[in-house]
This record gives sequence, C-alpha cells and structure tokens, in this order.
Amino acid sequence: MHADDGVDLPVIELAHPMPGFPDEERFALVRLDEDGVLMGFRSLSREDLQFVVVPPGPFYPDYTPELDDETVAELGIDTAEDVLVLLVVHAGDSLAATTVNLRAPIVINRATRRAAQVILEDPDLPLDAPLVA
Amino acid sequence: MLVLSRRVGESIVIGDGADKVTVTVLEVRGDVVRVGIDAPRSVRVHRAELLEQLADTNATAASPSQDAVASLKDALRNRG
Repeated sequence: MHADDGVDLPVIELAHPMPGFPDEERFALVRLDEDGVLMGFRSLSREDLQFVVVPPGPFYPDYTPELDDETVAELGIDTAEDVLVLLVVHAGDSLAATTVNLRAPIVINRATRRAAQVILEDPDLPLDAPLVA
Repeated sequence: MLVLSRRVGESIVIGDGADKVTVTVLEVRGDVVRVGIDAPRSVRVHRAELLEQLADTNATAASPSQDAVASLKDALRNRG
C-alpha cells in the first residue's frame, strides 16, 4: 500500500461500532499531513472524537491481514483494490512510545464507504505494537 | 442472569430460527471449560476480555491532543 492511498473520505458508515464507542456510527477520514500518512478518523456526531490512523505500509510492510468472509460480506467488498486498511495509533509522549493496534485495524471499503474495526483471528497480533521499531 | 447446569456434550440454544446460537460444553478439565459455539455468520463471537482490551485500547487512542498529533507529525517527517 502506498502513502497516496490516504484519500479523504467525507462520510464513512460503520457496519458495527468500534468497541468502547457504541454510539458512533459515522466518521470522516481526513489528512493530517502532506504525505497522507497520518490521517484522522473523525466522528461526525461528536466533534471532539478523533482517532489518528496510518496505513500499515510505511511501518509494517509485511502486514497483510486476511479478512474473513463475514467482513467481506458486511462491508460489501467486491475487489481488493477498494479496501483501505488503517491502523489506529496511540500517540505516546514520543515517537518511541507511540503504538499501533495490529490486532484490530479499521477496514474501509472505499467503493461503498462502509467500514468496521475488524478483530483479526491471529492472537499473536498485538494491540499495542510500536509504530516504529 | 439465567443460570443453567449442563454436562459435557449438552448444549443450550439462544434465539431461534436462522438466528439461533448453540453453545455446547465440549470438555471440562479443572477450571477450564471448552465450549463450542455454533452461530450464524452475522453473529460475531469474541472472548469478552479481548473486547474489553480493545475498548480500553480504543479509549486510550481516542482524541490525542493537538500537541501530540503535531509532535508525531514532526517526528515522522524528521524520520524521512
């Protein structure tokens, strides 16, 4: 995945809510830097709620999560090219203390603008992997 | 909370028709109980503690300060 995949999407509908945020159904994806690496996944109903997300490519080039049939159906995915995978970032006090969630990426179907935070089966994937090793 | 006693091999059924979920006790060994869950694909099944961990991780990640985002942006830019 290339950094220029970080297109802005104005209205994204979650197929099911993110754990911990049961009432947030609609988000927008906005760029936070010029390179399109850092992005904001912003709630449309709660102005103060935003997750910082990044594409895995620049940080974990080998990260290729396998989506189960249920997710593919739920998001209406027809082709892999429509799929945008983003990692939720926990911004720490420094870059070294900043982590990403590899276990539960946000998966967006750019064609239908449906998304979900998908919990992957692989128990070895950490919820708090360092953003940069 | 409904409390039921079941033996190994016995099940409980939640819901009915195409949406029903069947939970079967497969094995009991010490304080570990293995259960099999037969659910329609639209019903997501997760360990409760994983969902709690994920809710915590999401809550911790949510809405970083503008300063934190700015310094992350700088740090990534400087990294090249």
